[in-house]
Amino acid sequence: MTEKLLKKDDIGKLYSELEKEYKFYAPTKVQGNIAFKQISNAEEIELEYLNSKVPPKDVLFPQKEIIFEYRYEGKEVIIEERKDLDDKLLIFGVRPCDAYSFKLLEDFFASGDFQDDVFLKKRENATIIGIGCNSPRQSCFCTSVGGHPFQKESTDIFLSDLGDNYLVEAISEKGENLVKKLSWLVDIKKGDVEKSKELAKLAEDSFTTKFNFDLVTKVLDENFEHPVWQEISESCIGCSSCTFLCPTCTCFDVIDENDEYNNRGRRIRIWDTCQSCLYTLETSGHNPRPAKIQRCRNRIMHKFSYYPSNYDCLGCVGCGRCITACPVNNELRLIIDKILEIEEKSGEKVSA
Amino acid sequence: MTEPSVEIKQSENKEWEPKIIAFLCNWCSYAGADLAGVSRIQYPPNIRIVRVPCSGRINAYFIIKSLTDGWDGVLVSGCHPGDCHYISGNLVARRRFAILKELLEFFGIEPGRVNFMWASAAEGERFAVLVRKATEIVKKLGPNTKFEKKW
Amino acid sequence: MGLETEIKDIETNLREIAKGLLKEKKVDVIIGYMEGTLPMLSQPIIIDNEEDVDKLLWNNLCYVNLAKYLVPRVPRFVDPEKGNLKVGVVSKGCVGRALIHLASENKINLDEITIIGIPCNGVVNRQRIEMEIGEKEILEVSVLGNNVIVKGKDFEKEFPFDEYMNDLCKGCKIRKPPLISKYPDLCVGECEEYSSIVDEFTDIEEYDSKTPEEKWKYITDALSVCTRCYACREACPMCYCNLCFVDQNKPIWFGKTTDLPDVIVYHLIRAMHMAGRCVACGACSLVCPMGIDLNKINRKLEKIVKERFGFTSGLDPDAKPPMVDFKMEDAEEFMLEED
Repeated sequence: MTEKLLKKDDIGKLYSELEKEYKFYAPTKVQGNIAFKQISNAEEIELEYLNSKVPPKDVLFPQKEIIFEYRYEGKEVIIEERKDLDDKLLIFGVRPCDAYSFKLLEDFFASGDFQDDVFLKKRENATIIGIGCNSPRQSCFCTSVGGHPFQKESTDIFLSDLGDNYLVEAISEKGENLVKKLSWLVDIKKGDVEKSKELAKLAEDSFTTKFNFDLVTKVLDENFEHPVWQEISESCIGCSSCTFLCPTCTCFDVIDENDEYNNRGRRIRIWDTCQSCLYTLETSGHNPRPAKIQRCRNRIMHKFSYYPSNYDCLGCVGCGRCITACPVNNELRLIIDKILEIEEKSGEKVSA
Repeated sequence: MTEPSVEIKQSENKEWEPKIIAFLCNWCSYAGADLAGVSRIQYPPNIRIVRVPCSGRINAYFIIKSLTDGWDGVLVSGCHPGDCHYISGNLVARRRFAILKELLEFFGIEPGRVNFMWASAAEGERFAVLVRKATEIVKKLGPNTKFEKKW
Repeated sequence: MGLETEIKDIETNLREIAKGLLKEKKVDVIIGYMEGTLPMLSQPIIIDNEEDVDKLLWNNLCYVNLAKYLVPRVPRFVDPEKGNLKVGVVSKGCVGRALIHLASENKINLDEITIIGIPCNGVVNRQRIEMEIGEKEILEVSVLGNNVIVKGKDFEKEFPFDEYMNDLCKGCKIRKPPLISKYPDLCVGECEEYSSIVDEFTDIEEYDSKTPEEKWKYITDALSVCTRCYACREACPMCYCNLCFVDQNKPIWFGKTTDLPDVIVYHLIRAMHMAGRCVACGACSLVCPMGIDLNKINRKLEKIVKERFGFTSGLDPDAKPPMVDFKMEDAEEFMLEED
């Protein structure tokens, strides 16, 4: 694993070299919030950020995405596939939790018989440069879901903020090749790697939220109809902020837009949410989840029970965005507390 | 009343002409437009008429959807207050139009694109004059680009 | 100004009243606010026995419009045998207005609720403060006098409360829930009779004087980050349609994407549907995950409805909402007329 040093002053140099070959996405301020957007100059990069409002999944799985376009020529319909899926992308400055979410997204889009090319091709062509969290937020809990503020596995290159410089570690083969190309990166000094390990330990110790999620999965699997769900879903107003800001939420709606006057149209995919009462509404009029309690329960079950059953891992990365976004403070940690209480008062277990 | 002037531009002129959709109430304004036609009163061909039973049928959706579909202007015409065939349809509509006009102005969308008028079945000349006025207003505003979707 | 002592008094008063109501069985449950787990939030809480009244709290961080939990009624407010329970709602002015307006739309039966009035002096504009602090974690927020004190790990900043409160709160003239003479038992606590509201709407004067191009720029900049999550619609107590206009597909009226024309149209039409119904509670802006501030639109709606139809929503459960009413004398200066 190659280790190099990137001076903070050299970020501009890094940008101008890489943007010739890659579409460069980095955290930048948009209307007061941090978002991952394609930037046009290095001044727009904001690496000293807590975390972005909308997770970087927005780069590979955007809110609105054109699947294909079509047009009529006489009686023929001509379909035009996306041409930009082979462009190389670079997502710079991703937090470890969000980097791990890319793996969960890949699991989802590559599962089953149908491979979602639109996402997978972009993922293949994307290089992820992660950055460690020196000061995790009070609402973060990545260590409880098997993550770590300095987790490197899901990135191609990992940066650690040492003060004046970033320690650059190439993690994957893609990362090694890229670091080799950046031959002007400075060599590391004695103590740099140790400093990074020290920062990792400090960050790990600062977490105030710690849960045993294996236990949570077990309790959820056994208590689908427990009356605790009534209490959990009481204050939820169904605003769906949690699902729109979640790095692992993948539900989407497909709509067709027709431009009849110009004989053309396109098929678009937009984010959808299981918290909407129309989400499971069927054409027959039947709705399997008409009540809010069922929709609230579905989100928790999906992340902590169905994901482990289907993909052998938790569907949550511990970023804490749902916790800070919920306007009625019906936050995940309180919900998990209530669920774990069931196990403590194990006499009240009610099976489905 | 002055001689109505011929407003039809020759196609070689290639000057941009706005496309205006006109929602006319069946009992007054549509009949008024008919009268203008029968009396050979010229009015600009920029308007395309949609007949509705009453101006009270007009929903804000129709007007906004016309703008998003690419129409440069919208004209809604009904019976004079007090003369509505359904007694109060135009009175209900008048409040809606007021709110919509104010909100469009608040959003910065040119208020001249959406126009409302009253014209009765006997007022063919008035209908032509007001349509001419509306067309001039929309023509000055230029093509509708604010609602254009990028393809 | 001694605001902190006043807030503590309000809180103590509130708990006394709540205790009394539950003891005398005037209400079956009370919904109010309690301490949140994050620095700038509070949670709604439902209590049904006197021991829990100490959990009720009141401060300038009580955002949620509690009327939302009554339309439709949450399951906790319905007893399978007795039917609708009698609910006590801790109400600042806008929450009381929302309840009364919903009663005028026949969605609430005023005999089944009790409004526990609170004299609200505004809520902190959470998103504006978060944006000003930037990328540093906020650990504690308190309001003392006219100061909002924001503390983090290694910083402490103060903001003037009268500037950093919600834009709607700045122009609010109905700070306590309205008293309704027809329902003398409806309101307890601090409520007030409003015979007429005097409002000059000076807070949106500056916006109104901008050119159309400037207005368009302001609106498009603000709405450019809209992600069509519909949180604003879900949080609004007045949005209770079973099928919202954007979700209709017979026909499909407007696009559901995040393209600017689609976003503008959604907010424009939703504003139209709110004319004469919005109670200026600010829930829509609070809930927005992207921090979009729509409060100017809500103030404008109040202005239009007051100036044209002399109506203010939520003051009289028997009043006819302006958009289902009409008068021969309605102003029509906007109509096209011959020269």
